[in-house]
Amino acid sequence: MPSDDSAKIVEACGDDLISIEVAGPAEAQALAAALRESDPWREVVAGIASVVVQFDVATIDIDDARRRVEDLLAKGILPLELSDVLLEIPVVYGGEFGTDFDEVCEQTGLTADELIALHTGKEYQVDLVGFTPGFAYVGGLDDKLNIARRDSPRQRVEAGSVGIADGRTGLYALPGPGGWPLIGRTNFRLFDPDADDPFPIRAGMRIQFVSVSKVESGL
Amino acid sequence: MTISVLEAGLQTTVQAGARTGLRHLGVPASGAADTLSLALANRLVGNDLLAPALEATLVGPTLRFTAPCAVALTGGSAKAMLNGEDVVFHQTVFANPDDELTIGSVEVGMRVYIAFGGGLQASEMLGSSSTYMPAAFGGHEGRALIKGDILKMAGDGRNSETLETPEEFRPPVSSRWAVRACRSVETHLVSDSHRTVLFDTNWTIGRRADRMGMQLDGTTIGVSSAGRMPSSPVFPGTIQCPEDGAPFILSVDSGTTGGYPRIAQIARADRHLLGQMRPGDHVRFLPRQPQEAVDELHAKHDYWRQWLPGIEQAI
Repeated sequence: MPSDDSAKIVEACGDDLISIEVAGPAEAQALAAALRESDPWREVVAGIASVVVQFDVATIDIDDARRRVEDLLAKGILPLELSDVLLEIPVVYGGEFGTDFDEVCEQTGLTADELIALHTGKEYQVDLVGFTPGFAYVGGLDDKLNIARRDSPRQRVEAGSVGIADGRTGLYALPGPGGWPLIGRTNFRLFDPDADDPFPIRAGMRIQFVSVSKVESGL
Repeated sequence: MTISVLEAGLQTTVQAGARTGLRHLGVPASGAADTLSLALANRLVGNDLLAPALEATLVGPTLRFTAPCAVALTGGSAKAMLNGEDVVFHQTVFANPDDELTIGSVEVGMRVYIAFGGGLQASEMLGSSSTYMPAAFGGHEGRALIKGDILKMAGDGRNSETLETPEEFRPPVSSRWAVRACRSVETHLVSDSHRTVLFDTNWTIGRRADRMGMQLDGTTIGVSSAGRMPSSPVFPGTIQCPEDGAPFILSVDSGTTGGYPRIAQIARADRHLLGQMRPGDHVRFLPRQPQEAVDELHAKHDYWRQWLPGIEQAI
């Protein structure tokens, strides 16, 4: 990945926020990592195609904050190296856990076996962790699986639910409302507040989905 | 040194300061929705401004003390009694062992803050002891209080001083609000004919109003998000507007990324006001340039610092 020359500062983002638009998730993560090293930002949050910094306007004024971002962009952002962490995420596809599995088959014209083969057939990368603690946006979904979100979100989606929408797989770390069509569930603990590292999934990690039976998963 | 929860109220949680620095892992701010009222309550019992205290929503709890304890109430207006006698907000009161403190329905505003001398013991997680209910961590077992809970005090509860918030430092609680707001990243997606609708409308807080956010009723705002928007960072005070045109304000427990156009951002100086808005209240937004909003924040800090040294940690 070349350094991102298209990075563009957006000024109007509130009184303590600066948004920088970038080309995509890899550029956003690289810029966010550089920002996190460089300055005492209150928050450095990457989106799919942008990074927003929040700063303490009681101690840094807007122009100063803006200059710091510009100086960093001027130096150029080095691309992040591909993570050497490959996480295997076991998924129980369809059935009671993949409430929308049959509908996704219908929409995409795939058989159940084809859908599973397609979803488990390649290595992915985590584009973003966000929304709630540990929720992972996993990029690189095959075009054949590019479907839209549900028209209305479900009131409750269980932790570990695996959904697909807009070219990504979404891994629900917590129970709560959710709008992604669900194709399965994983027993992988995406967020564990009691663990040494509560966040086993980080942006940039490589992901391999593996199809398992309900019995094997222990779910 | 404990406090027994005889009645929990509608949604009473232990809240302190915000969690910061972990939004990139999806960890929301949490913390008191009205940080100014939290600070005012803690001030009256001699605590750090952001010490863990109780945040009661719409209906308050009934508590019994096991030891002498300084207590102070701030925030929305509600009837409060200590052993059947009226308790006045904004002053230090002293509870004795076996005393019962009852806080009734919040009449104006949304949340009441109850601070205790020395603060409450709370489980610290990811840099704050504030409760974040969706992931069940922080505060008291990561959840709202239930009848029968026993809260532990962090100190001995005593406080030598009796204080009263000076009149000029009691924030008015109202059902009509004005908050200052700046442009945000997708403000340009608002259709031309709707450019000023956000600022011209007397909005009503919708029925869906909680620590995550609040729906705004009144009219709709035309936005063209040109199909699907990539998930982008959002913050407490971000106003998003989906395709259906019904905007909503994000609050302290909101997620860290969102997929709807961000049409405005409430200025830092006024974000604490969100914690007192209740369904049916009216709110207007006042347009500000970012630098104007920062100047006003400095002025607000200068004012409040006279009674609350360290106020810039809270608002």
